[in-house]
Amino acid sequence: MTAQLVLYFPHLSLALGGLVILLAACLRRTPATLFPILAGVFAALPGLWSLAGPTGASGIGCYYAGLLSVITLATVALTARYAARRGFAGDALYGLVLWSALGMLLLAASDDWLMLIVGLELASLCLYAVVASRLSDPLGTEAALKYFLPGAMSLAVLVFGAALVYAGSGSLIIADSLAAGGPIVSAGLALALIGIGFKLSLAPVHLWTPDVYQGAPAPIAAFLSTGSKAATAAALLHLCAEASPEARELLWPALAGVAGLTMAAGNIGALCQKSVKRILAYSSIAQMGYIAMAAMAVNDGGGEAALFYLAAFALMDLGAFGAVGLLSGEIGDRDDVTAYQGLGYVHPWRAGALAISLLSLAGLPPTAGFIGKFLVFGAALRAGYVGLAAFGIVTAVIGIFYALRVVAALYMQSGVEAHPAIPAPAGPAGGLALGVMAAGVLALGLFPQSLLGAIAALFGGG
Amino acid sequence: MMTQNGFPVVTALIVLPLIAAVALLFMRREWTVRTFTLGVGILECLLCLPLLGYAPDGPAFQFVEQAQWLPALGMTYHMGVDGLSLYMILLTALMLPLCVLGSWTYIAKRVTEFHFCLLLMTSACIGVFAALDFVLFYVFWEAMLVPMYLLIAVWGGPRRRYASIKFFLYTLAGSTLLLAAIVAFRQVGGTFSIPELMEKSYAFKFQVWAFGAMALAFAIKVPMFPFHTWLPAAHVEAPAAGSVLLAAILLKMGTYGFLRFCLPLTPAATETFAPLMIALSIAGIIYGGCIALGQTDIKKLIAYSSVGHMGFVTLGIFLLSTKGVSGAILQMLNHGITTGGLFMMIGLLYERSHSREISDNQGLGKFMPIFMFLFGLFSFSSLAFPGTNSFVGEVLVLIGAFQGNPWIGFAAVPGAMLAAAYMLRLLQRVTWGEPASYKPSWKDLGLREWVTLAPLAALVFYIGLAPALAITTIEPSIERTLAAMRAKNTAMGLTKDMPLAERWLLTGPLAVAGVSDSIRKEHP
Repeated sequence: MTAQLVLYFPHLSLALGGLVILLAACLRRTPATLFPILAGVFAALPGLWSLAGPTGASGIGCYYAGLLSVITLATVALTARYAARRGFAGDALYGLVLWSALGMLLLAASDDWLMLIVGLELASLCLYAVVASRLSDPLGTEAALKYFLPGAMSLAVLVFGAALVYAGSGSLIIADSLAAGGPIVSAGLALALIGIGFKLSLAPVHLWTPDVYQGAPAPIAAFLSTGSKAATAAALLHLCAEASPEARELLWPALAGVAGLTMAAGNIGALCQKSVKRILAYSSIAQMGYIAMAAMAVNDGGGEAALFYLAAFALMDLGAFGAVGLLSGEIGDRDDVTAYQGLGYVHPWRAGALAISLLSLAGLPPTAGFIGKFLVFGAALRAGYVGLAAFGIVTAVIGIFYALRVVAALYMQSGVEAHPAIPAPAGPAGGLALGVMAAGVLALGLFPQSLLGAIAALFGGG
Repeated sequence: MMTQNGFPVVTALIVLPLIAAVALLFMRREWTVRTFTLGVGILECLLCLPLLGYAPDGPAFQFVEQAQWLPALGMTYHMGVDGLSLYMILLTALMLPLCVLGSWTYIAKRVTEFHFCLLLMTSACIGVFAALDFVLFYVFWEAMLVPMYLLIAVWGGPRRRYASIKFFLYTLAGSTLLLAAIVAFRQVGGTFSIPELMEKSYAFKFQVWAFGAMALAFAIKVPMFPFHTWLPAAHVEAPAAGSVLLAAILLKMGTYGFLRFCLPLTPAATETFAPLMIALSIAGIIYGGCIALGQTDIKKLIAYSSVGHMGFVTLGIFLLSTKGVSGAILQMLNHGITTGGLFMMIGLLYERSHSREISDNQGLGKFMPIFMFLFGLFSFSSLAFPGTNSFVGEVLVLIGAFQGNPWIGFAAVPGAMLAAAYMLRLLQRVTWGEPASYKPSWKDLGLREWVTLAPLAALVFYIGLAPALAITTIEPSIERTLAAMRAKNTAMGLTKDMPLAERWLLTGPLAVAGVSDSIRKEHP
């Protein structure tokens, strides 16, 4: 019993955390500031658990408990003041964020098709509501709907794929069922990958992403793009690692095409956007292309590279979206690239964090993004995908321009445009979270061994 | 971390500006910022003093520092200094305080950010010259891009946007090729460590591709003749200190790259393509000189003269003889001192007359005699007048050229004459020309400006009159590099008059006995 409790401690703490927050709201005269604090405490617990290194826990569960804990904690910190100033903070927001993190954790560590589907759906259902949490904002409602429809579609495809795999192999355990092989299992796997591709916004099923990220409040968009993507990518890596050789032969050319198309669509799509949040959305699409490429090389070191890259991506995207949120005025988010002109001199710290995150997204050294890209491309080259890797490098170079455009706007033109010139105050938690993210991006870039060593230790060096 | 001399000199040189840059963010008053950065610059120069203990006949790499960085991928933190990089590091450190002094009044807005960029640049540049791990080199190489971009883009002239983007795109295109070469060397050579890569010899076909990628990256940076178009734009728009850094240090990274990577790693390809590179260099020398002759903007004139001077450097490198290469390294140093000084002075002139046109700055000799004395000094150095530093470098390169093939020498000599023509034309008009109108702002140099220029002026004479001191320090490293190159080429069976089709089939023995011995001796 105790062993079970220890093993499922992160899940329990996230589930209970959500409940406690909802219960606290039932009490009379609960101060509104209590919710983010409670959410922060319960979000931090899985991270502490994974740091303690529990015995018997799977490597991936441990890693994701830590990563999702960081992501959730940062999201709560970035949301706290942001939501309070704009009047949509409440018990439901924080409770749902915690539960959605629970779903992501289940999804990332699932060994079983049903658990994978349950986790994915739990995470998504909560996120649909969270995206629309700013009720007064029609853009948010539209974003939630645009997120919901492809999400429902992808779930249907994924469930059908899982059913086919079960029909073909007679097992619901992912490893066993995929090892069975056969055409029906391969077809099921293909459908399951398409379903996951929807959630990961791989091209050509990526079109919902920019609209949703633009409509969602900036810190929520950060959570959406980091937590949900990281967990879904874990499922992708898992499926790819277990796929049988014949399935690989059949599906890998298609996956290579998808990865290449995603990199191109993301990086080229970002070039001509006028909205910073759409630029970030396209950039997150592009990053998922690199993850898909790493997933193809999952057994040649691509898995570790992808896990590192996901952590790096989480830090830089939280930093970028977080900075957008903290630089925004009270009404909407600061969205137009021109509205960022000269902010580097008015708000050096927040703009500096945004610049560092963008340069990391572009993959310039000495940031985490450079090391991550280096690892991912190295793994792809080792696995023999030279053409895809070369294509990826070309798209990555194209990708530097959009980052540079925003950085140029931050530092080049003087004179802040009249937009909402004065950002709402960041709040201590938000400022701290942003600072930690930016520092983390640089620290991972300079001392990548700290995280890579942990990954290697968790996965036994292989 | 493992260090050779107890105190990690190179790391200190890199870390000090970084710490100082962070500290700058907390300073409010402009005067504090300038004084603090100046202090850091002087400290940086003092920190360089241990490097003067470099022993020419000692091990190939000295002041070596090694630490784990990313063992999973074989990347290490590996720093070291040899004859090729020693003077570049010293020059970089020297430029920091001079740039701070030179921009004391030139930069009036966003002072903290400007000095922040200067410090980052210094740190990254020293890193480039000292890195002995290929990835580490690339990290520093790229890290220097963003601050330089900002220096041009924020503090530049009216067309700064165009110039900065052009600079960024050109260099980035080159860097991508360099990254591809780095990954390829890892695949074939199995390591990122530059000394270990140097020990091995690679198949000719691989060498050609690797040489092509690296040479293009470095040629853009130098810039060599067909890739030079970003340079005049960047120079003209950059602020004075930006131009100084660009001319004195950034351009040297390209030629340093040739020496550090192309010659030792791809010796057969280097020898095969040396005639092409020599032809491009001579084209650059003549072309840069001709274009400089027709300029009316002083800064543009100096920028095009840089193309010519850097042509001499690449010419010297690809002569592949001791004379030629030592002349090239000396010329790298000289060009940094001389052109750095000239750009600094143009900045001072621009502060006074707010124009860089020759016609607006005529007849200054009467009003600013001391200024014109120093300007004349640097100009004479630029045209390689005997007794100044550039004379030594240029003569060495020319001797190397005549030794190699008299026709190369004959082709390069008009370049030296062109330099005299455009510099004397400039000097004549700026000093004695009829002033279009007198400007009351034409005041002679102040004490601060004197202090800024005096070290460079002293170096002009020091190297010009006692060049042996510098040459004896760098020559052993050059001889070692060239000997390793010849040993590798002999080992793989390359002969001088082998047709390309036969060369194409040559496979490299991965280890060449004599070479590893000479490079391995890292630790005494």
